[in-house]
Amino acid sequence: MELKREHTIQADQSSVWLALNDDEVLKACIPGCESIERTGENVLRATVRIKVGPIGARFSGVVTLSDIDAPNGYRLTFEGQGGAAGFAKGEARVDLRAEDAEVTVLMYETRAQVGGKLAQIGSRLIESVAVKISGEFFESFSKLVGKECVSDVSEPRAAS
Amino acid sequence: MTSHESSKFIGRSMARREDRYLLRGQGQYVDDIAEPAGTLHLAFVMSPHAHARIVSIDTSEALRVPGVVAVLTGEDFASLVAPIRADIEMPTYKHTDRDVLAREKVRFVGEQVAVVLAENKYAAQDAIELVYVDYDILPAVVALEDARRPDAPLVHDHIDNNIIFQGEFSTPDFAEKHAGSKFVIREKIRHGRLAGVPMEPRGCLAVPDRGDSLVFYTATQIPHIVRTGLATHLGLEESCIRVVVPEVGGGFGTKAQLYPEELIAAALCMKHRRPIKWVQDRREELLTNIHARDHLYDLEIGFDANGIVTSLKLEFATNAGAYSSYPFGATLETTGGARMIIGPYKIQNYAYKNYCLTTHTGPAGVYRGVAQPSCFLAIEALMDRIGRKLGIDPLEVRLRNVVTPSDMPWTNVLGVRYDTGDYPACLKRAREVSGYDNFRRAQRADRLETGKYRGIGISNMTEITGTGAPGWRVRGLRSVSGVDSATLRIDPTGKVTVYVSHASAGQGHLTTFAQIAADYLGARIEDVRVIEGDTGSTPFGTGTFASRSAVTGGGAVICAAQKVGDKIRRIAADMLQADAQDISLCEGKAVVAHDPGRFASFQDVAEIAYSIGNGVLPEGEEFGLEASEFYDPPVVTVANAVHIVEVAVDARDGRVSIENYCIVHDCGRVINPMIVDGQIHGGVAQGIGEVLMEEMVYDENGQLVNASLLDYLLPTAMDVPNLQIHHMESPTIDTTGGFKGVGEGGVIGAVPAVANAIADALSGIGANVNSVPLRPAHLLSLIRNAVREEGRAAIEESAY
Repeated sequence: MELKREHTIQADQSSVWLALNDDEVLKACIPGCESIERTGENVLRATVRIKVGPIGARFSGVVTLSDIDAPNGYRLTFEGQGGAAGFAKGEARVDLRAEDAEVTVLMYETRAQVGGKLAQIGSRLIESVAVKISGEFFESFSKLVGKECVSDVSEPRAAS
Repeated sequence: MTSHESSKFIGRSMARREDRYLLRGQGQYVDDIAEPAGTLHLAFVMSPHAHARIVSIDTSEALRVPGVVAVLTGEDFASLVAPIRADIEMPTYKHTDRDVLAREKVRFVGEQVAVVLAENKYAAQDAIELVYVDYDILPAVVALEDARRPDAPLVHDHIDNNIIFQGEFSTPDFAEKHAGSKFVIREKIRHGRLAGVPMEPRGCLAVPDRGDSLVFYTATQIPHIVRTGLATHLGLEESCIRVVVPEVGGGFGTKAQLYPEELIAAALCMKHRRPIKWVQDRREELLTNIHARDHLYDLEIGFDANGIVTSLKLEFATNAGAYSSYPFGATLETTGGARMIIGPYKIQNYAYKNYCLTTHTGPAGVYRGVAQPSCFLAIEALMDRIGRKLGIDPLEVRLRNVVTPSDMPWTNVLGVRYDTGDYPACLKRAREVSGYDNFRRAQRADRLETGKYRGIGISNMTEITGTGAPGWRVRGLRSVSGVDSATLRIDPTGKVTVYVSHASAGQGHLTTFAQIAADYLGARIEDVRVIEGDTGSTPFGTGTFASRSAVTGGGAVICAAQKVGDKIRRIAADMLQADAQDISLCEGKAVVAHDPGRFASFQDVAEIAYSIGNGVLPEGEEFGLEASEFYDPPVVTVANAVHIVEVAVDARDGRVSIENYCIVHDCGRVINPMIVDGQIHGGVAQGIGEVLMEEMVYDENGQLVNASLLDYLLPTAMDVPNLQIHHMESPTIDTTGGFKGVGEGGVIGAVPAVANAIADALSGIGANVNSVPLRPAHLLSLIRNAVREEGRAAIEESAY
């Protein structure tokens, strides 16, 4: 499955970048996310509950960040095991572009592969579920980042 | 036998006895059998990967689920069940031993890696979700076309290039003859992978019986082979196993295999001495039942200016999946396609190479028609291409190439003997009843009428049926006997029971074997009962698959009936003071010829045979009134048919509708025309699905992406048109009874006919149809590419 999308976020690029690297923000925004913890530099372990049609499962997996180019983007690879439901793995390229001082465009390109029961009886649904989940993520993300960006605005600039 | 010349029951559309209870919902399928107290249920953990090393299996959490009795893995079964291996004797054949639960490696998605044994099926299902298997994922080879590539991962370390076996054949001086052909057409024909999808999934119930015995209820087509297979794989005395086949809701070959779950259920029953039950769900059915028809034909056909075929060259590959099965190995599709493609044609120069290839996909096996739907798809596609190339009507091309009655008995270049049949008459009759000539006259060159491309397709096929021992030996199958048998017994009350070695999966054997027995014994049909599918009461035999029951079982019933009939005549002659040859048997009575008042009923005769009352057996006669006879047909019987189909392909969306469908079928002597028609109806429905919608789809990683009936499309009543069926009857002279098989003819005929009709419809725009399935998206792309190539205007405008 491949997914390529763009989202416009009402926040400046540095705030968006910081939020993208903030475990608490991610946890709050990823639909069904039960836990997320950093187990190493650029390595996150997460547990997410996902439902694809008739298959509901708790996926636990590892997300690794690479090709980090702050504050412009990174690559993330993920691999999750859903027990009897099967597995999902893949990678995503995330890029940020400042539209103007207050608006950032986030572009991402995902390639994912599912296996086991998910593929066997969920293939037809995977893409729409992925679109829905990412839609929900960015809706929450935009809200959260838009709200917090005011107070955090100076910090990333100072850091960069 | 003078008394049998006029058939009283054979040839009549007698109502199926089975329907009295099946239609009332009173059939007992495996899942309907009352579970004995203490029954344990199985559920299987299946691999989500096509190819992976099993690093570890953690069963601890599953074991804590209340009701779970045990969780077992491949290592636990290593000492309980021998790996599944079919005994195949063929040069180059390489065995693929399959552990009943994978050990070390998994080789296809769905391969079983662990089994949960629980007090109820809910606990079993819950527990499989808690078995954690750590896999080290390995690269997989999935597509048939990739299997022989030098860089392809090996499915089995000992099988080089993933070739399970390869064969070749050539008539003398083939290369020279082929080079001398005036015209040669080269084409590749691809057939996509299918599933059999019986309405009832597989299942079994193993029940411990007295002492160390086992009663094994299973949905199978081959009870006697299952019994032998259980004994040899489990190391049991065969005498302690009784296999019972309840009603079976369709088999189509998918139930003509001994599967790992059956061996596991039997082994656990013996180990725990408790009843063990397992019934698969639809996803398991689609993942683990044998698949079929993943075939590639690479063909060259040589012919002269009159359209007479002068040579045929074939390279044929089949995708066997990850393992070969028991008892057929992985041979039948590969040998079948190469051996049967000659069909009804007088092809004298033929050469083939065939390859059976293993990949990381579900094991393939014998689905209705085996390779015949695909090989006739191939040869019939070539017949049409010869016609198009030379401007000769394709029906005429076939007429010019078929074996004619004056050639018969005809032995083809592979040694297959065709004893009877009138192929030209069958073609001509189909041409007439289908209105073929009128359709052709009215057909436009571009085939386009009111937005639809209209075409007509022919398939002219033979069906190899009734294969006995010689036929299975030729194809290297040691574990498939080929003989079948019947025991016919008359009870003291004069009623007849016929025990047959076959096992019906819906074919109506209880009716048809009764018709045969009643006719050949001279019994009243209501006095005849047929019992089959129980190794405890029926004599040994091969089973019901490959369109063989009428020929092999029918032959055995006839032999047994004749033997018992002879004894009745001898006893009755003694009672009636007449000569045995003057006694005829009719309506359950032994009657003195020309003196109908002098007779003895079967009951009178039976009482003497069993020493009931004061009658005395004739001198030298033994007690009892029964006979057991084996029958092994000396050669295969060759049925034939012509299907002619009209289709319309919608130019805008690529959807196909079937507008007319005619069949002329010859299965020799017809036992029950209604049942024969039913066989053809079902086969054609499957063939229509095969061409228009069905395909098992694996992605490049070996994930099966349509393991549900939402995504694996089957034809419904909406897709199957009215079928006009006509019969010809050319009884065989080579076998007892004159019957030829009919179980697979419907699907074999339908696939080429429907595909050729679509190809004809799209021939006007130059689209080349050389694969199935032909789903709307594929047809639409063929149409668009063809139309684009011709530089035409947008299709919608030209169509309307």
